[in-house]
Amino acid sequence: MNRNYIFLTLLMLALALGTLFIKKEPALPETPPETLLPETLLWEIIQPTRYVSTDQVAKMIIQKDPSLEIVDVRSPKAFSRFTLPGAVNVPPDSLLSPSGSDYFGIPGIKVVFISDDGILADQMWVLAKRLGYKDLYVMKGGLNRWMETIIQPKEPGEGEPYTAFEKYEFRQGARLYFTGAKVKTTKATKTKVVVRRKKKATVASGGC
Amino acid sequence: MGPLIPNGIINGDWSFVIALLIGIAFGFLLEASGFSSSRNITGVFYGYNFVVLRVFFTAVIVAMVGLLYFDYFGWLDLSKIFILPTFLKPMLLGGVIMGLGFIIGGFCPGTSYTAIAIGKLDGLFFAIGLFIGIYIFALAFPLFKDFYYSDNMGHVTLTDVTGIPAPWFAAGFTVIALAAFWITMVIEKRVRKNFTEYKF
Repeated sequence: MNRNYIFLTLLMLALALGTLFIKKEPALPETPPETLLPETLLWEIIQPTRYVSTDQVAKMIIQKDPSLEIVDVRSPKAFSRFTLPGAVNVPPDSLLSPSGSDYFGIPGIKVVFISDDGILADQMWVLAKRLGYKDLYVMKGGLNRWMETIIQPKEPGEGEPYTAFEKYEFRQGARLYFTGAKVKTTKATKTKVVVRRKKKATVASGGC
Repeated sequence: MGPLIPNGIINGDWSFVIALLIGIAFGFLLEASGFSSSRNITGVFYGYNFVVLRVFFTAVIVAMVGLLYFDYFGWLDLSKIFILPTFLKPMLLGGVIMGLGFIIGGFCPGTSYTAIAIGKLDGLFFAIGLFIGIYIFALAFPLFKDFYYSDNMGHVTLTDVTGIPAPWFAAGFTVIALAAFWITMVIEKRVRKNFTEYKF
């Protein structure tokens, strides 16, 4: 017999018997095609660009930005007590239900998660990111920081830069918008204007 | 990664181009293997030439073992491969009819075109009969339409039916195929007087 035939026979036999030892791991059930790798998710978590500040949210609300969608992830009881204008309530247990998932995945819409302190919003952000949705953001600091910055802004000190005063003025205006407070008129102290006339020195009349 | 077109790696519009190139390669290899000769094809029925058995069994075992390794390496997802549905009784009857045509005419549809390509008249007549048969089948289809679609078992595999894992089928079939190669070589040496052994 030809040795090449023997070699090919043994090679094919080895390859075929090798298939018996292949133990493929069972795939996760219904893994989505765009699987988010753990390293990719971790990279997205540490990006600061996924946060929006309370000033940005206030600005978008005042300007009536149509691409803004505020998702309040607190309980319905807390949601009914207080929330931002135009916010929708999606508690954690409603994220996978049709009533909850209808708010996500809309093209052109930016979803901003809000909660009391930002922790629950962060967790909901991770879950929604793992579900494959895009354009997800978290309001940094949550509603607590909203109260500190927008509703009760602090006046910056005298040594602060000009931008701090600009931001303070914006926050004052935003506070007026969201609370409906009236502008306090400053009573300027009326100071009497005293006009002092300088006496002209009398020029000596006449000549020598 | 694979299959390439359902996973979007290759655009679906390239399907016909790829099919044309694969068809050209397939026809070339058919002719190079001696399939354009009706004597080589019917030889497997009369027992003096087993080139058909060797070529196709080689293709089957290479594809079978190769697909299992590709699935293991993650290059191909076997769960996304399309499997033709099984209509058991119509397929059995169709196989018998095809076997009759095979042994009477000396060609199957593909090999008749390779025979035409090199100018053989028996291949040409076979192809003409092929189209006559298609025409008669199309006209008479309403008569046996119910039988044609009967006994549908769905997209079933041998693993689904028997419960034996796919690698065991691959290993078993390969052992049988390799044994058949050696046995047919012995048979050919005894039967054919002017046997010329192929040398690499």
